[in-house]
Amino acid sequence: MEQKDKLFKEIFDSNSKKIFHLCYGYTGDTDAANDLLQETFLKVWQNLDKFRNKSLISTWIYRIAVNTCLTYLRSEKRQAKDELTDNIIENKIEEFSEKNEQVALLYKCISKLEENDRLIITMVLDELPYHEIADISGISEGNLRVKIHRIKQKLTELYSQYASV
Amino acid sequence: MQAFDQIQELWQKHEVEVKVSADEMLQQAKKEVNGLKLKSALNILGMLASFIAIAALWIFFHFESWTTHVGIVIFLVAILSSTIVLYRDHRLISKSDFTVHPKDFINSLKTYQLNRYSLYNGMYWLYTTALSLGFIFTFIEILPNLSYIQRIFAVGITIVWMLFCSTILRKAVMSREKERIALLIEKFERISGQISTPE
Repeated sequence: MEQKDKLFKEIFDSNSKKIFHLCYGYTGDTDAANDLLQETFLKVWQNLDKFRNKSLISTWIYRIAVNTCLTYLRSEKRQAKDELTDNIIENKIEEFSEKNEQVALLYKCISKLEENDRLIITMVLDELPYHEIADISGISEGNLRVKIHRIKQKLTELYSQYASV
Repeated sequence: MQAFDQIQELWQKHEVEVKVSADEMLQQAKKEVNGLKLKSALNILGMLASFIAIAALWIFFHFESWTTHVGIVIFLVAILSSTIVLYRDHRLISKSDFTVHPKDFINSLKTYQLNRYSLYNGMYWLYTTALSLGFIFTFIEILPNLSYIQRIFAVGITIVWMLFCSTILRKAVMSREKERIALLIEKFERISGQISTPE
């Protein structure tokens, strides 16, 4: 049991930052990103015994995180995701205005993308190898390259569009 | 893609802060997993305790009428079947995690939700009818031994209980189940739309 605890802590320490960044890119909100991060690692803990080393452990964790983000439920207590993201980003812009307007703008642009595209571009921005992203998102590498190209274009357009306002 | 490189640089420069430490996460994970298991286990234990209590009543008390024996057997079968269903659900919930195996989840979700819905509807009526029948059979022997007031009280409580189960309780449980299924459908649509759609 102690060995499992130790392994979990090592996994958490080496992956939590990237997973948090992924969740943050998806939601644009630190609290929601923290919730998603915790939900992801809860599942990692629950399923650690079932991990069979068929892929890299980071790929496995990313896959859990991506699917946790995609299945992040809308409930009466939780506002609709798109609405939530927009509202939070709007507020964040004011918060960031002096400190780092460009970063806030980037999150706003990411929030304008489709949910799955948000996750893919976040992994691209974090420089994950394409074959790993393909493995995580369940898309063939060929299709993924086309998709990434399209998302990059869209994000760049959005960024230029908002930056010039 | 020079503009994108600038965006990437901006992204990578932006430091994020993880609010939770590995130790806290480990503690929380253990607590939540144990809490979930405990709740589910207590539910099953509660049903088993009812089963044992009624079985003990049957073994240690002397009942003369065959109707009482039939009534008690109906109670026991109803409770045992519900416990088995609870146990199967418990195993299903603890075994499958759709975020770890999304493809399996997508394939089984529609079947699962239909099964759950029909099973739940069927089980509900079966359970209520069985318990009501059990009461009727046991009352045949028990009621003559009670005073007039006690008889009215026992029959009254049973009728109120049956009405409560078939109206307020049933509606509440059905609406909870309906909401749960709606959430599952939403999950299914969101996942299948975003992961499985061919490019």
